[in-house]
Amino acid sequence: MSLQKKVYIAGIGLISPLGCGLQETESSLQKNSSFISPLDPSVFQTRQPPPLPVGQVRQLQETDTLPRTHNLAIQAAHQAMEGFSFAPDAVIIGTTTGGILSTEELLNAGVKDPAQYRYHGLQTVAEETAKSLQCQGAALTVSTACSSGTVAISMALKMLQSGEAEYILAGGVDSLCRLSYYGFHSLQLVDLKGSRPLDKERQGMSVAEGASLLLLTTVQTDRSLARILGCGLSCDAHHAAAPHPEGRGAAEAMQKAMENGKIRSADVDYINLHGTGTPDNDLAESRAIRSLFPEPPPLSSVKGATGHSLAASGAVEAAIATICIRENFIPANTGCHTVDPECGVNPVLQPRQSPLTTVLSNSFGFGGNNACLLIADTSHPAPPEESPPSLPLTILGKACITGAGHTEESMERFSRLEGIAGVLDGKALVRTLPARAVRRLGRFSKMALAIADAALQDSGCSEPPDSVFMGTGWGALTETFNFLDKLRESNEKFPSPIDFVGSVHNSAAGQTAIMHSATGSNITSSGGNYSFEEAVLAADTFLENRSPGAFLLAADEAHPELSRLFDPSVTAETTPADGGGGFYVSRKAVADTIALRLRFFRRAHQGSTARLAEAVAENGENNKQCTMILAGIPADEAAVGEKQLDDFMQLTGLDVPVIHYRKFTGEFTSASAVAAVMAVHLLEEGVVSASSRILVLGFGRSLTAMEFFRQ
Amino acid sequence: MDKLIQDLKERLIEILNLSDVSPDEIDENAQLVGGDLGIDSIDVLEMVVMVEKDYGVVINNKEIGEKVFSTLSALADYIHKNSPKAAS
Repeated sequence: MSLQKKVYIAGIGLISPLGCGLQETESSLQKNSSFISPLDPSVFQTRQPPPLPVGQVRQLQETDTLPRTHNLAIQAAHQAMEGFSFAPDAVIIGTTTGGILSTEELLNAGVKDPAQYRYHGLQTVAEETAKSLQCQGAALTVSTACSSGTVAISMALKMLQSGEAEYILAGGVDSLCRLSYYGFHSLQLVDLKGSRPLDKERQGMSVAEGASLLLLTTVQTDRSLARILGCGLSCDAHHAAAPHPEGRGAAEAMQKAMENGKIRSADVDYINLHGTGTPDNDLAESRAIRSLFPEPPPLSSVKGATGHSLAASGAVEAAIATICIRENFIPANTGCHTVDPECGVNPVLQPRQSPLTTVLSNSFGFGGNNACLLIADTSHPAPPEESPPSLPLTILGKACITGAGHTEESMERFSRLEGIAGVLDGKALVRTLPARAVRRLGRFSKMALAIADAALQDSGCSEPPDSVFMGTGWGALTETFNFLDKLRESNEKFPSPIDFVGSVHNSAAGQTAIMHSATGSNITSSGGNYSFEEAVLAADTFLENRSPGAFLLAADEAHPELSRLFDPSVTAETTPADGGGGFYVSRKAVADTIALRLRFFRRAHQGSTARLAEAVAENGENNKQCTMILAGIPADEAAVGEKQLDDFMQLTGLDVPVIHYRKFTGEFTSASAVAAVMAVHLLEEGVVSASSRILVLGFGRSLTAMEFFRQ
Repeated sequence: MDKLIQDLKERLIEILNLSDVSPDEIDENAQLVGGDLGIDSIDVLEMVVMVEKDYGVVINNKEIGEKVFSTLSALADYIHKNSPKAAS
């Protein structure tokens, strides 16, 4: 068995309220002072003075065309790539805000032109960053609330360890916006005096912004900055917005990171806390630490200095951990004057020099999404893990929702080659779900829960899986719209806490975890028309051979106002359509079941169709011949997509039926999840021979290939 | 007071989407948070917004909040005593 590769940090781009780059950040941290100040109207004007204290970036190079989040990401990306004359193999960005700050302004101004909203989608941050770096590989987006940046780095780490890539640029970014500014305030989680983590008098967090992107590589040079030893992911499966009171999931993520990095708790020299300053987070995190560390190492939260930059925070703190290791420096827990005795930990109250080689960095978020990184000196002796055998994802159960109904109704109509596009009635959607459990949820979360529930039923398994991998193009449109609508209507006085909690992209995956007590990895990916494929990639990257399995899902809701503005494939003439699909998957090979492999995922550019053809031309799993293609060409990319498909057919010489699945499903970003269920249905029903494989291909801005076959 | 309690029951069902409950089924003297209705801390915050918006009564103190949201009658009582409309 071969060993996994070691992963190093080759470059860092960092922009936060503390400044730009590692040096400025370090000297700001040395001052042990807060960089939190009242919101400056240059970011946005509040209608409810006085402005709340926030962590604001002061050195952003703004552009006229791109939203603030995108500019932050691109500036950090170029900083990270300084001194490297090539593009990374892939870009993975964690973000929760995307283009929302610009969208808020457009909606407030009543702008109806969809072109103005073209940078709203979360995936456009990674796409624009990749474009700016001329990266031709995949541009991927993770959205797991405040752990997004850490999860993005974890994903890059795993992909590099397995040898899938040599250089990946990964991290997190978020800009200030009304949604998070008023949203956290509505939850009474904002400290009006500025964040004071672990302080007895702490009242909450300070919403902030920033970007940090790390160039990660398997190539060690004398310029390498640090090594990433391991990561750990978990889900509380407890509450949509509050942490588990004992820090159960937090402890599990820290434990996993140490196991993954092959070190003992006594070997951790410093813990960089999530430490937001909210009473609940700091207490739960302290309890988790005390449960794992009989004598905790030096620890501190930097969020009293930086504020909480949400999706960026984990990546910003990974960069700060690198500073700590390089400079033998421990930053102070800025803002804490009297340590809360209930927390029972002793944060570092003054910055100090101290020799250290290994840092544990914590990030926790809404939906109970926890992620921890273990970062060490480049010469750290921890050996890499053995490479596990590469097994496909076995499909134990399937389910979908379309305009035609649930799985059975949808597949029955599809079998008769009838359209299944439409918007399923809300009552029919939740037929199997307990009314009380879904009362606060919008359409998007309800769809995810209904698909997960049906996939579990279909599997016949008594035990649900422990992990969730979810894709969505637009997330919770209903909650997002309602939150901003009520905010505007009330002159920004009455934001709704329920709408805010539901508006995050990972709300559906978090609810799925709560309903099924799934405490393993929980990742929401947002890749526009390739969101399901991104979820497959995440599952492929994180689902361990020993895990009981995972829900692999994607869903998107049609919204009467927003779908037409955001999704360029949806026009006034389009039949409104939504839905999604998914599976209960496992790594365990079960005889006579259908399996799934993701064969290809790259941004489209000159020559990439040839690479796609090359990747799928091999006979695939067990020499099975491709006998059918389900092709996904979004309406707004019809010309480009048709050309790519024609080229692909010519290059492969395949002479097999091609089904344009969007003609059946209608236009919505998660349509490929329904196509995946169609492929499994066709194999199960024997419409194609048992010894063949079906390809589900995605065309347009990216090129993707999923392969389904009987094993 | 009875009318206020009835109003609050209807508002609660609406803003918390308790579609499987009718106003008559809500006991105004029963424990409100963590009780049979499944109301949690996020619902309480939504109620805080509603109470300020609809009745002009601000609840921004955790200790007061805990007392006020103990039961629906306690909430009605607090609104009754603090509402600007009641004072006029």
